Amino acid sequence: MKFSSLKGYAFLYLVFLYAPIVLLPVFAFNSGTIIAFPLKGFTLDWFRDLFANQTLGLALKNSLIIAVSTSILSTTLGVFAARASTRFKFPGKTGVMGLIMLPLVLPEIIIASSLLVVLLAVGMPLSLFTVILGHTLMATPYAIAVLNAAFSSLDRSLEEAAYDLGETKWSTFRLIILPLVTPGIISSALMSFTISLDEFIVAFSLAGKETTLPIYIFSQLRFPKQIPMIMALGTCLVVASIVLLATAEYFRRRGLAKTGAKDTGGFL
Amino acid sequence: MSQLNAAARAPLDSRAKMIEFHEVHKYYGDYHALRGISATIREGEFFSLLGPSGCGKTTLLRTIAGFEDISSGAVLIDGKDMSDVAPNKRPTNMVFQSYAIFPHLTVGENVGFGLRRDPRSKAEKAKAVEEALEMVGLKGYGARAAHALSGGQRQRVALARALILKPKVLLLDEPLSALDKKIREQMQVELIKLQREVGITFVLVTHDQEEALVMSDRIAVMFEGEIAQLADPETLYRRPNSRRVADFIGVMNFLPAQILGEAAGHVQLEVGGLGRFEVTEEQASARASGAEPVVGFRPETLTILYEGQQAHDREAPATIDEVVYYGDMTYYDVKLDGVDAPVRISMRNVFGRPVLDVGTRTRVAWSAGALVLFR
Amino acid sequence: MAASPLKRWARSEAVNGYMMISPTLIYAILLLAAPLVTLVAYSFFTDGYLVVIPDLTTANYAEAWSDPIFRSILLRSVIVSGLVTLVTVVLAFPIAYFISFHVPAAKKSRWLFLITIPFWTSYLIRVFQWKVILNYNGVINSILTGLGLTDHPLQMLNSIGAISITLAHAYAPFAILPIFVSLEKIDRSLLEAGLDLGENRLLTFWRVTLPLAMPGVIGAVMIVFIPTIGDYVTPELIGGGKLPMVANVIYQQLLKIDNKPLGSAMAISAMLVVAAVALVFLFLNRRFLRGSK
Repeated sequence: MKFSSLKGYAFLYLVFLYAPIVLLPVFAFNSGTIIAFPLKGFTLDWFRDLFANQTLGLALKNSLIIAVSTSILSTTLGVFAARASTRFKFPGKTGVMGLIMLPLVLPEIIIASSLLVVLLAVGMPLSLFTVILGHTLMATPYAIAVLNAAFSSLDRSLEEAAYDLGETKWSTFRLIILPLVTPGIISSALMSFTISLDEFIVAFSLAGKETTLPIYIFSQLRFPKQIPMIMALGTCLVVASIVLLATAEYFRRRGLAKTGAKDTGGFL
Repeated sequence: MSQLNAAARAPLDSRAKMIEFHEVHKYYGDYHALRGISATIREGEFFSLLGPSGCGKTTLLRTIAGFEDISSGAVLIDGKDMSDVAPNKRPTNMVFQSYAIFPHLTVGENVGFGLRRDPRSKAEKAKAVEEALEMVGLKGYGARAAHALSGGQRQRVALARALILKPKVLLLDEPLSALDKKIREQMQVELIKLQREVGITFVLVTHDQEEALVMSDRIAVMFEGEIAQLADPETLYRRPNSRRVADFIGVMNFLPAQILGEAAGHVQLEVGGLGRFEVTEEQASARASGAEPVVGFRPETLTILYEGQQAHDREAPATIDEVVYYGDMTYYDVKLDGVDAPVRISMRNVFGRPVLDVGTRTRVAWSAGALVLFR
Repeated sequence: MAASPLKRWARSEAVNGYMMISPTLIYAILLLAAPLVTLVAYSFFTDGYLVVIPDLTTANYAEAWSDPIFRSILLRSVIVSGLVTLVTVVLAFPIAYFISFHVPAAKKSRWLFLITIPFWTSYLIRVFQWKVILNYNGVINSILTGLGLTDHPLQMLNSIGAISITLAHAYAPFAILPIFVSLEKIDRSLLEAGLDLGENRLLTFWRVTLPLAMPGVIGAVMIVFIPTIGDYVTPELIGGGKLPMVANVIYQQLLKIDNKPLGSAMAISAMLVVAAVALVFLFLNRRFLRGSK
C-alpha cells in the first residue's frame, strides 16, 4: 500500500509544482482586469497589449543580447576550465577550481554588490556590458558542471589515437574532442542562456539605466493594471521554454544516437 | 607452445635494429617507473612486453609511441633518436587497449582517419581503406557506424586503422584483454598471420603469459620497471633466469636443494625425495629469491608410472595427494617420499588409462636434464 | 638523450593545465576575487558620504551588529531560509525516493523532466504567482469562500509562512535532484540484504536507505539554504517589503542610501553567517561519509 500512497503524494506534489504555471494562461485569457475568481470572459486583449508594448520589446531585446553573449562567453570559459580540470593534473587545481566554482555557493546579492562596488570604483559606466560580465561570472560554474560531465566521459585514448595517427593537438581537438562534447556544449549554452535571461538581482544592480526583461517585469508588478499583461507575458515565456527544452532534448537524443552512448537521463 | 611465427625467416641477429632502448629511466615525481631499460628490438620481430600490472610495460610501450617523455636515456627508432619527435611524427602506430574507435565516425572513416593529410586522391584513399578492411576480414563494413561493432570487430578496425599508414612499428597495448576466451585465441592466430603478412615490427604489451608465449619471437619479462629476462618463448619457459620469472610464466614446482660441490661444468646436488644427482652449469645459472638454493621443474616434465612401465631415466616413489580432472588433462598433486610439500604433475589423459585415486602409491619418472637450479 | 628541459617543461602536464585554465581563472580573479577583496576592504573603510575614505576602522561592523534592526533582519533571514530548507527538503525527499525506487528505469528521466519544466520559466513570475494564489481575493480564498468554508478571506500574504512556501516552491528541483542522485547510487542488493536479514521495510529504510542518502540530503540543504538567504525578490513581492531580509538591506545601503562601507560590512557579515552554516553542514557530510565507509 506504500506504493499507492507515494504515488498519490507524487501527484499532489506535481499539482503544487504546476499550480502557479497553470494559472498563468487562466488569467492571461480572462477579460477581468483584477486577478481573481470568478473569471469574467475570454479575451486576447492582454496579448495585444503585450505585443504592442515597446518598452517591453526593448527590454526583451536587451535581455536577448545579454543572454546570448553570456551563453557564448560562459560556455567558452567553461570549455577551457572543464578541459583543464578533466585532462590535466597541476598543483593547486583544487583551489583554482574552487575559486572558479565559488559563484555557485555565493548568494547572488554578494556577487551583485561586490561587482557593483568594484565597477563604480574603477569608474566603468553601468550598461548591458556590465550585466554580461556579471552573468558570465554566475553562469560559468553551471557551464563547467555540465561540460565536466561531457569531457570526463571522453576516453583519453581517443585523442591519443588521433594524435598517433598524425593529427596535431589542435586538429585532434577539432576533429575528435569537439564533435564528441557537442551535446554538452549545447546543454551548457542553453543553461547559461536560461540563467542569464531569468536573472534579476545582478542585472538590477549592474544595468544602470538599461532595462532587461526581469527588471521590466519587476517594475510592472507594482501596478495592478499591468498584471493581466504580465500573465500573458508569462504564458508566452512558458510556451517558449517548453519549445526550447523539447528542441534541446531532441538534439541530445540525436547526439546519443550518433555516438551510440547510453542514455543517462535529462539535461540536469 | 605453438611456434607459428619463428619459422622460415632470417635469423633475428642478422636483421636491422628497429627499436633501441639505451638506459631508459622514467620518474613520475618520486616514483621510479622505468629503471634503466636497455634492449634492442629487431626489424620484423614480434616482440612482447610481459609482466604484472604496474611493472612499467605499458609505460615503456608509450615511450616508443611518444606519449610519455623519458627522464633520461634514449629511445631510437630505425636508428633515429626520438627525444624531440612528437607522437604524430613518429613512424609508429598504436592499437589501444580500449581500441579508441572514434564513435562519431563510420568504420571507413575510422580506418581512413590517418590518411587525411595524405596527398593521394579520394578514390585512391577509398581503395586503401577497402584493402585495409579486407586485410582484417571486415570487407564491406566501411559504411557501418563504428559504435555498433562488437569487441572483436572494433579490434580489427583498430588494427586496420593503424596498419593503413604502413608504420615501421605497430604498438599493441593489451589488445586482446577485453575479448572472450574463444575470440581471443582466434585473434592471437590472426595477429600472428597478419604480422607475417605485413612484415612490420610488432610490439605487444600483455599480462597474459600464455598469449606472450604463443605469439612472440621474443619476450621481455618485466618486474618493477626492470627487464628481468629477455629471451625467446622456449628459453623463457625452460630456462627462467630467476624464481620470479619461473613463477610468473606457467607453473613450476620447487624443492629445496643442497649443493654438494661443483666440478667440470657440473653441480652436484642432493634434493629431498629425488636423491643425489648432478646438473650442468647451464641449468644452474638462475637466481633464487632467498638464500636457500632450490630446484624447479615444470609439471609436464614428471610422469606418473603405471604398472609395468619403466622410467627412461630416473624414478622416485610417491603417493597421490590430490587429483584435479580437466578433461584433456589431469593434474595430480603428489607427495614424494620424504617430502611434505606436494609437487604438481600434469598428465595427458589417454584412452584406456584410468585416472588414479587419491592415496594411490605410485612411482614418478623424472630426468635431471629438465631441472633448473636456482641459487 | 632525453628531450631538452625547456621542451619537456613546455610539454609537461602542469604547464598545459595552467595554460588551459588561465582564461577562466583570470576572469574569476578579475571579476570575483578582486571584487570580493574590495568588498572586504570597503567594509573596513570609512564612509565620507559621496566618497569612501580608506581609513581602517571596525566601526562599520560595530554599527551593523549593534543595530537591532539589522540583527533582527539577519536573524529573520536565517530563520526563513532555515524553514524554507526544512520544508523543501522534507517535501522533496519522498518524491526523489518515489522516482528512484518506484518509477521504472525507462521512465525516470521523463519524471525528472516533468519536475524541472516549471523552473525554466521566469523566476519573478513564478514568485508573483504565489501572490495571486495567496492574495486576499486570490485563488485559495476564492475557493474557500466559494465552498462556503469561510466568510472572511484569510490574510496569508506578508507573512514568513508565505515567503517560505514561495521559496520552497522556487527551489524544489534543487532539493530533489541531489537526493535522487544519492538514492540512485545505493546498491539495491544492500536493501535486499537488509530485508533478507529479517529487518522489515521501515527498519531497512531507517538503517540503510536514509544513512546512504544523507550526502544527497546535505547537498540539497546547502543548495537550498545558500541562495534563499540572499533572496531579494520574494521578501519584496510576497512579504510586501514589510519583512525585509539581508539582501534587501544590503541593496538599500549600497544603492539607495549609498553607504558603501556599511553595506559592505553587512554583505560580509551575511556571507560569514552563510559560510558558518555551510561549514557545519560540510562537517556533517564528512562525518556521514566517514561513518558509511
